[in-house]
Amino acid sequence: MSRDRDAEYTEYVAARLPSLRRLAGVLCNDWQLADDLVQATLTRLYVRWGGVRTATHPDAYARAVLVREFIHERRSVWVRRVSLSGRVADSPAAEVDQDAVLDLRAAVAALPARQRATLVLRFYCDLNVDQAAEILGCSPGTVKSQTARALAAVRRTLGPAPAAGSGGQPPAAAEHQVYPGGPGHD
Amino acid sequence: MTEPQIRALFTRIADAEPAGSQLDIQLARSRGRARLRRRRAWVAGSSVLAAAAAVVLAVGLGAVRLGSGPALRPAAPSQFNPLVPYLSFGWLPAGDALLAGGVRPEVAYLTAGRTIDSNSNWNVEAYAAGQCHLTGPAGELRCSTEALEGLTARITGRAPAVRGHRAFWAGQYLVWQYARGGWAAVLLPIKYDNPKGSSAARQQARREAARIAAHVRFGVATPPLVFPVQLARLPRPWRVSSVYYLPDAGMLRASRFALGTGNPDLGADGGLEYQTSLPYLLVDPSTPGNDSCGRPATGVINGYRVVVTHQVLSSVNGQHTTTTQGLCAAGADGLTLSIAEHGSAHPPIGVARLFRDHLRLLGTSPANWTREPIR
Repeated sequence: MSRDRDAEYTEYVAARLPSLRRLAGVLCNDWQLADDLVQATLTRLYVRWGGVRTATHPDAYARAVLVREFIHERRSVWVRRVSLSGRVADSPAAEVDQDAVLDLRAAVAALPARQRATLVLRFYCDLNVDQAAEILGCSPGTVKSQTARALAAVRRTLGPAPAAGSGGQPPAAAEHQVYPGGPGHD
Repeated sequence: MTEPQIRALFTRIADAEPAGSQLDIQLARSRGRARLRRRRAWVAGSSVLAAAAAVVLAVGLGAVRLGSGPALRPAAPSQFNPLVPYLSFGWLPAGDALLAGGVRPEVAYLTAGRTIDSNSNWNVEAYAAGQCHLTGPAGELRCSTEALEGLTARITGRAPAVRGHRAFWAGQYLVWQYARGGWAAVLLPIKYDNPKGSSAARQQARREAARIAAHVRFGVATPPLVFPVQLARLPRPWRVSSVYYLPDAGMLRASRFALGTGNPDLGADGGLEYQTSLPYLLVDPSTPGNDSCGRPATGVINGYRVVVTHQVLSSVNGQHTTTTQGLCAAGADGLTLSIAEHGSAHPPIGVARLFRDHLRLLGTSPANWTREPIR
């Protein structure tokens, strides 16, 4: 691994840390887990740096690595947690959430990892079905069915009369990029 | 509607991102490097165990038993002198030759083959005394630290003794204790990583690895290590801390080298150890028609056209900032030179000053190269 390549990697990931961390936070619904996920993703990006730097859309590639790492780690019940250091990060102050938001949060958190990732890609990253399928390594039809099942599961959990008023503005559109080929797991 | 609510929820979660993450790019790099190395060492996995057992059976009768206790064997060096190549090949498969080598205090290494980018190359590493530890009954040989690109190899079977010294197969490695307290390893060519490859070919490769190991020479005279540049008037503690060399004109020409004053705090990479604010240099004969600097010159120093760069990298929330200074001179007396200093905005001697006041280019004639990179 040449020094130039290391510097290139460092420059790239340093600039992407905030967006990767936010995406990880939404996926994990826990910031310590999110940091672990991003740390694991950074290692994987280093190993796969050749693929990242030659990808048509490196950011989409990096995002795919993170999402797949999330699904992979959830499948293994987080048994291989990464220890960032001996010190535990300070917990953020408790949020003042409404009951309905808490219920929704719990309902989404209860979804299987792949369904949750599907919702995040569709409704947080604003990816279309084809783009989400590319990242998840499945067909567009599977993305549609996963989305439908996830929404149905959330509705079932929330009950027949979900509270109104917890809506908000959708996030700004993320980059709509699809990378050629996809990063997989080793 | 659930969908807008979910969008809002995700936005709310993202907006609640706490400050002060402990993400560590340097840690990711060192773990990534270690993973790359482990991948090469472990790919063969358990299949090697059976193969190693077969090798033991095949050559067991010829294996030399240890005739003397460890106390009678010579001790491995406590550390290597980067200016003295410690290793050399005594035998290589037909057509293969030394391609590159390097030395730093903890390890000396060699690469042999036909071309440097081939997947058919052999690598040999010898670690200084105390750098390697054989751990646990399961057997794992750990050498140095991950940050220094140390070897971590899981023992998969006993190998025939190497010149009377105990040896093991460890994935793609043949490891043996070449002297008291010191371990060495031959890494089989990458092309044999494929477990689906020919078993006969792997067996042949292991026989060649064993023969390479048996003929590796430690601490005997090698061709001289020479430098095409010379530094002068440096702070007294500065010394060459690691070297990567290439065979050239019957000598070993330093192609990269790093300066240090003690323990490297930026780890090791590409065979070199790095230390904050201290320079490392890459110098090779220029390739005609190839502008190795890749960008227009930014100035002229001592009559040479140079590219000077200054790069600042910040981590999330600005917690960590690192700076890299770089200088590149292409076609300078027939050499292409690159100097870099990493980790601090204010190095003791910046790259431009180092080039202007402390460095002398010695050209492309081997007769002018020096064994004293610092005088």
